[in-house]
Amino acid sequence: MSDLIIEQDVMQEHEVRRYFEIWRESVIRSRHTITAVFLKEADSTQSKPNENNHQITAFLQSKIRKTDLLFQLSDGNHWGIFFLQSSDVEARAFLKRIFAILKAERKFQQIALKASITEIRNNTVTFEDLLEKNKQVLTENGQISWSVVEVHDYGVQPIELVKVSIIEQNAIFRQVLESTLNQIVIPHFTLEVKVYEDGYSFLQSDGYKTGHMHLIVMNDILPRKNGLEILHILRHMPNEKKFIIYMMSERNSEGAALNAYEGGVDEYIVKPFNLRLLEAKIKRTFARFWL
Amino acid sequence: MIKLSITFLFTVIALLLVVLFTFLIYLFVQRQRESRFEQVRDRYLLNYSQLWYDYLFNNALFSMVLVPRGAAQVEAIERIFSSYLKNIISENVEQKIKQFANQYLKKFYEKDLSSRRWSIRMNALYRIADLQIEELLLSCQEFEKNKISDEEHFQLLKIYSLFQPDLFMEKIKNPNINYSESEYRRLFVLLEEDVFIRFFDDFNCWPTNIQFAVIDTAAVKRNMQYLDELKKLLSHDVMEINIRALKGLYEIGIIDEIDPFIPFVTSDMWEARLMVAKIFKHVPLAYTYSYLEQLLQDENWWVRSQAAKTIVEDRHGIAKLQQFIESSNDPYAIEMAQEIAARKEGSK
Repeated sequence: MSDLIIEQDVMQEHEVRRYFEIWRESVIRSRHTITAVFLKEADSTQSKPNENNHQITAFLQSKIRKTDLLFQLSDGNHWGIFFLQSSDVEARAFLKRIFAILKAERKFQQIALKASITEIRNNTVTFEDLLEKNKQVLTENGQISWSVVEVHDYGVQPIELVKVSIIEQNAIFRQVLESTLNQIVIPHFTLEVKVYEDGYSFLQSDGYKTGHMHLIVMNDILPRKNGLEILHILRHMPNEKKFIIYMMSERNSEGAALNAYEGGVDEYIVKPFNLRLLEAKIKRTFARFWL
Repeated sequence: MIKLSITFLFTVIALLLVVLFTFLIYLFVQRQRESRFEQVRDRYLLNYSQLWYDYLFNNALFSMVLVPRGAAQVEAIERIFSSYLKNIISENVEQKIKQFANQYLKKFYEKDLSSRRWSIRMNALYRIADLQIEELLLSCQEFEKNKISDEEHFQLLKIYSLFQPDLFMEKIKNPNINYSESEYRRLFVLLEEDVFIRFFDDFNCWPTNIQFAVIDTAAVKRNMQYLDELKKLLSHDVMEINIRALKGLYEIGIIDEIDPFIPFVTSDMWEARLMVAKIFKHVPLAYTYSYLEQLLQDENWWVRSQAAKTIVEDRHGIAKLQQFIESSNDPYAIEMAQEIAARKEGSK
């Protein structure tokens, strides 16, 4: 172990494990992708490993953002960076940028790196597996300097169940909405559609009390508890953020729309409207949940 | 004392019973017919709603089972179509509905137009317009020759406005018809832009009701092409038309020059001054402040209030009002400026 070069001013592998476990769980809970980048010197036979390690650590430390975490692996010749709330796109851009600087500047001429990128979109990966997998791809033969390999083993997003409630009095239109929403394909989400003809039956159903994300497409005027009353009830629930509320209305007035938005709707749709537009809006709403 | 024989009494009672019984049978038959009508209608809705959805939205092939057989099925189709047209915009769906109605529903509504019942005739006229059954235009013109009610005539105008705008323009010039402003608005709002704009060409020839309705409809349509027409009306001799044109311009919300509005800052009518104060909301404060300051000192409370509200909407509005409060001698204007500035700061 005498040839290990451990930096004092950078976090070490064993210190990062706990943080990783928390971030990994928040990937699911908060739908925040994290991306891990691992770096290694491409030519490990070079003459001054100690001096290079200091230089690389200092360089990487100066280039990461405040929300990124740099750490050194226990073998002393790998560096890891966790990019929180970032996808592989940002990681690739980061590597492209730092590689360009390292190649261009004279003071770094003796350094040549190679890297791996792992996007994490589920909570099945352990810290040990992550490290092992990346070390393995970085040591594999044929990797040349400044190359970037991507590990896709942990990028599969879990499918999330979304409850959908359609509250509309007109039976024919209700059926149209039900068919339309049942046909929508949203990557990584599955919709469970239920229909109600009035506000009261929706509130009696208790379907809205579960912890699932809940899309509500309702009319503003409904028999037995109208849409605005339902909106008020839902927006005063403790976990009201799980509701995505689309309100449909025949009133095409700025006042009515303002009133609805101030009451907490996410979309105010004036009837008659284009079903394709509704579909597009719903898809866009869900696309925002993951990076 | 009147003497009645038992036989006579029995005869009367028997007669009354016969009448009662006949009436009961009539009610029973009517109820049966109604219930059968509802059954047929509901069965059609149940069996074919999905087929209609697939045909209209998913481009499934048209099936002849959808063609109505009898009034009950026509009513079911009306329900389906009106649900779609009221809630969904789709050119493709509208085209398919129009095509179907012209081909398969025409004969039903043509028959309804000759009904003795006003409600059936009115219903047919509404459907002809909603489902765009152009092929019944000639029948409608024939129908107009009968003695018809004002409501039916109004509905006919609506049909002409949709299918034959030239005929509509001709009919509306008829001096014998005189609808209210709101009725004219309901007709004009359906007109295509190129037809509607013709009203501005010989604006002064139209009766006042139509003139007012044209200006208000232009505001509702919020189309840029009416801006110049409304601006021209600012120099009209009738003050009411000036005020309505100002309101229309405010509603459209696009002000490209302030010169046409400046004369109204000193108008004799407070409503015109109020509208100018509102219109200046759509113009940067740097161009309008001197006029708004003048309006802030207006004799009318509404004008003062609106001028202050317009000033305060600007990013530097509160500072401008503070400056005004410090330099002005007008206690009413100062009070208004203080109130609006305080309200704005309170809502932040």
